[in-house]
Amino acid sequence: MIALALQTLLLLGLSPLVTGAIRLGKARLQNRRGPPLWQPYADLAKFLRKDMVVSEHASWIFSVAPYIVFVTALLAGLMVPMVSVAAPLSLFGGALALVGLLALGRFFLALGGLDPASAFGGMGSSREMTIAAIAEPAMMLAIFTVALAAGSTDLTRIVQTTLEPAWGLANPMHVLAFAALFIVLLAETGRIPIDNPATHLELTMIHEAMLLEYSGRQLALMEWGASIKQLVLMTLLVNIFFPAGIATEITPTALGAGLLAYAAKLLLLSTAIVLVETTNAKLRLFRVPDLLSIAFAVALLALFSTFLFP
Amino acid sequence: MTAPAASSAIAAQLIALFAVLMLVLQLLLVGQRMLLTSIRLFALQSLFLAGIAAVIAFFHGAFHVFVVAVLTVAGKVLFLPWLLDRQVRRMRIGQEIEPLLNFPTSMVVCAALTLFGYILARPFTALERLGNNTLAVAMALVLTGIFLMFNRRKAITQVLAWLTVENGVMLAAVALTTYGMPLVVELGIFFDVIVAVMVLGILVYRIRDTFASMDTSKLRQLKG
Amino acid sequence: MDALGALLLAAGLSGYVVAAAAGLLTARRGAIAVTLSFGLGAMAAASVGAAAMVSLLTHSAGNDATLQLLPTMIPSLRFSIRLDPLGAFFAVIVSLVALALSIYSVGYARHYVGRKNVGILGAFFNLLLLATTLVFLADNVFFFLLAWEIMALSAYCLVSFEHEVDEARSAGVLYFVMSHIGTGCLILGFFLLSQAAGAYNFASFHALGEKMAAGPRNAAFLLFLAGFGIKAGIVPVHVWLPAAHPVAPSNVSALMSGVLIKTGIYGLARVLFDFMGTPPNWWGVTVLALGTVSAVLGVLYALMEHDLKRLLAYHSVENIGIILMGLGASLMFLHTGHKALAALALAAGLYHTINHAVFKALLFLGAGAVLQSTGTRNMEEMGGLIRRLPRTAFFFLVGAVAISALPPLNGFVSEWLTYQALLRGFDATPSLFRLMFPLAGAMLALTGALAAACFVKAFGITFLAQPRSEAAARAHEVGPAMLIGQGILAGACVLLGLFPVAFLTLLDPVIAQLAGHPLAAELSLAGGLVLSSGAAGPGTVSTLGILMTGVALLSLPLAWRLVHARREQTRTGPTWDCGLAGLTPRMEYTATGFSKPIRMIFKALFRPHREVQREYDFSPYFAKTLRFESHTEEIFQTRIYRPLHGFVLRFSRRLRALQAGSLQAYLMYVFAMLLGLLLFAL
Repeated sequence: MIALALQTLLLLGLSPLVTGAIRLGKARLQNRRGPPLWQPYADLAKFLRKDMVVSEHASWIFSVAPYIVFVTALLAGLMVPMVSVAAPLSLFGGALALVGLLALGRFFLALGGLDPASAFGGMGSSREMTIAAIAEPAMMLAIFTVALAAGSTDLTRIVQTTLEPAWGLANPMHVLAFAALFIVLLAETGRIPIDNPATHLELTMIHEAMLLEYSGRQLALMEWGASIKQLVLMTLLVNIFFPAGIATEITPTALGAGLLAYAAKLLLLSTAIVLVETTNAKLRLFRVPDLLSIAFAVALLALFSTFLFP
Repeated sequence: MTAPAASSAIAAQLIALFAVLMLVLQLLLVGQRMLLTSIRLFALQSLFLAGIAAVIAFFHGAFHVFVVAVLTVAGKVLFLPWLLDRQVRRMRIGQEIEPLLNFPTSMVVCAALTLFGYILARPFTALERLGNNTLAVAMALVLTGIFLMFNRRKAITQVLAWLTVENGVMLAAVALTTYGMPLVVELGIFFDVIVAVMVLGILVYRIRDTFASMDTSKLRQLKG
Repeated sequence: MDALGALLLAAGLSGYVVAAAAGLLTARRGAIAVTLSFGLGAMAAASVGAAAMVSLLTHSAGNDATLQLLPTMIPSLRFSIRLDPLGAFFAVIVSLVALALSIYSVGYARHYVGRKNVGILGAFFNLLLLATTLVFLADNVFFFLLAWEIMALSAYCLVSFEHEVDEARSAGVLYFVMSHIGTGCLILGFFLLSQAAGAYNFASFHALGEKMAAGPRNAAFLLFLAGFGIKAGIVPVHVWLPAAHPVAPSNVSALMSGVLIKTGIYGLARVLFDFMGTPPNWWGVTVLALGTVSAVLGVLYALMEHDLKRLLAYHSVENIGIILMGLGASLMFLHTGHKALAALALAAGLYHTINHAVFKALLFLGAGAVLQSTGTRNMEEMGGLIRRLPRTAFFFLVGAVAISALPPLNGFVSEWLTYQALLRGFDATPSLFRLMFPLAGAMLALTGALAAACFVKAFGITFLAQPRSEAAARAHEVGPAMLIGQGILAGACVLLGLFPVAFLTLLDPVIAQLAGHPLAAELSLAGGLVLSSGAAGPGTVSTLGILMTGVALLSLPLAWRLVHARREQTRTGPTWDCGLAGLTPRMEYTATGFSKPIRMIFKALFRPHREVQREYDFSPYFAKTLRFESHTEEIFQTRIYRPLHGFVLRFSRRLRALQAGSLQAYLMYVFAMLLGLLLFAL
């Protein structure tokens, strides 16, 4: 129970920080000053206190969607080992439930986009569902490959397996699965080669287009949910592939060291995302399948390499 | 060097990693339409090949393989990419045109070819000196390289594809024989490649002069 | 089975007959016929369902209840039924769905009163239910085939119920032809089996495959795969399904998509697991591959549809594919002797069978309600129905979440089991065939995500945003009977999703019978609240736990809302319209537009082509009129069936030369045939 509460707090507290860090890093690399690191917190606080304007065409789906997006992201996060190797909800579901929960959130997010009868929202929903659909095989194949090595879809067990010394850092399967999941991460979190999180043009939006009609508390929940989802996927990547430093026992020192290691790893991954976002241009929508097919092929190679290099 | 068993385990892991990275770069080459980036990807792939040679030379004490590594770096990582790069810039062509098969399909084909390479290499695993399936990767490089060659239209990409095939052959040589082929043979192949690329480069230039394009499918117009 | 069970079963089966007769007798007084025949049908379904449930719960191995229905004069045609676990399980499925459908139909069939002969509708509907139940229970080859044919014929009559519509007639004919090709295959297959067994009752066929020679055994496999495959709607023999299911009245569509195609699954399970013994590897490989292809192609074609009922029909192809993935993997594990894994994969397949029956029937009922209140199946003319039909919309949403395999509903659980079986299969198979498992898993992921996209479209375009037509704006909620029917199925979706272990315990005798390895104890953790995928605990999931934790977490934003609600004002305003004079429904995203990215990405499959005609005065950017047409191609129709159809026609034209019309010629044919046969006998 305590672990659950602590991890929930960590998810809630850390996720805006990661979003802010990536934004700041991008700005600095582009020679801009950029918003301060805590800007996302300020945004959330503002949104939470503001009154809402709801579209006259919207139904209850529109109002329910933010809660579902928020809660599913949190639930998914509780299944991933963050600071300690034992994830609080690992009994209730592993990698497959995580994928399912994120999909549930996306389902309602897309419905929320369609609900206010705006063409932009419909376009965003359509594109979001398409990209999610073609990213899914690569994601599942990469997760399958890692799960095969661990003999389990339970994320705690997967991390425990990768912690064992027999798993060198240079294991080819490892590297390939990481590469595939990294591309999927970019797609799932709406990062640059696929979607531009900072765009102001409705026609190029994907994620933002679905949020156009949201305001106030509902917008806060949507934004927060998206941040949490991003944190969850990033945590998945760093802890499965670089589990070093994660706390294997519940003592204050181990947890403290785990937290530090976790923060350092997140920072590294954020830097990688920032670098990708600044050095690449956004892809045309119909070039996205090319990128994701590379992710799929790399995940396939990861699978092959489980018996290529036993 | 510490205990031989541990060091050879590290060597095996490094070789496997580099081999797989060569394969990933091959996939990226298949999925890449900018010519300059393709050339850089090829250079990187060659660098990993040199890395494998260097690892073998270092861990197995076969120092003549170092020569191969150095030559690979000099020729395939630096000289040939520079040459091709200059040519592409001179001809002012940035992009490959639409390939015969679209990228997602190409990816699936490449994955299938990799699997096929593995099946082909399976009977020979016992013969390998490196103790893992480097030969399978080499096979995959050769097969996907040939696939890349006929999937593209620009002569430059075809030259690049041919070079990756050659990388695959080198890898196979390293995997199967005692720490690389005799030095003389390697040197012979190496200079062959350099000369061939230079000849091809001139040829590409000629094709473009004649047809105002680098599209090799235009060569069909040559028949009477 | 005790006397009570037998009584319930007999009462139920005769109840269907009575209900059918009542429909026919009162046909002239429409409203009474509807209430009487469907009401009696509901009672019969409840009775059969209770009997099957009792037999499933109290089953003891090797002690199947048998029953002789009617005395018979014909040798070897015995009207005997046997309630073994497999049959009882499918009888539970058909009865559960039939109960909901009959209640729904009491309301639904009313709108045919005065226009059509509803007595006929009720009679054939009950006849179809009776025949389907008997297919699952028959213990004799001839009885099975008889029930199978009655089922096919009554379904044909129901498909062509609205025979004044061209589409319904041609769909009916297509269904009739395909169905009979399938029956032909089955007859040949059963011929091979009964030749090997020397008897005609199913009990004597058990593990018969071990005794058969490889040739006839493989031939029988292929014949049954084709015969049952046509009924189940496996790609590439699925073409009748998206044609026939949508044109039938919606309660019949629900029955056909929910239950009727499951007779194909039942047949495959019965033959491959019960009769055929340990299968060779390629059987499992074939079934798994066909399943994967069906799943992916089914959902892709579904995405291209904007006819709500056709969309749902294509999803049946997809879900049959998912079921077959479980069955195929199970066959592969039986080959390698991994009984526990085979049991897991089979449980996944059968679980998905009942899940699909429930949510597909639910979705068709929702589509029927929409069709009844708007008068159209075209999604482009709907929209905003969530305000006009709030309860139907809610039930449809439940079905949509379930079919998209999203937690915590039932579709998620059965797909989770399928994933686990595929995952654990990788280490069980030594050959390269094991690569099929992760690849099938990846394709299952693609299928699930595309299904979610498809149901965002189906629900979003149909129920959300502004109404796109007058009819949609004037729609009104359907009556209580129809809502109760949907409510039962929606409740079943929730229960099957939240309490998987309880259901797997019910399924356990079936698994033990077919795979020889009881499973429920291994899969139950924490007193049945957590579902595990095996004894070593390779993966666990608890939909109930997820739901409870989710509700607890929901308290965070809700608490904030309560704290803040006093000071807050929520205003209603127009949707952002770029400063134009206001949004009209014509500016909304359409169903065709929604699926356009998918259409472009998979254009090699769909071969989309479009035609744009624009008329303009001075600049093409200011068009006066614009006509846009876009089509996709069903490559199975254009590449396989149309050429085949043409060939058959041409061939028949040649053969017509034989039909000279002269009696002497015909007599000569008979004589030649006789001579030929005598020569053959020599």
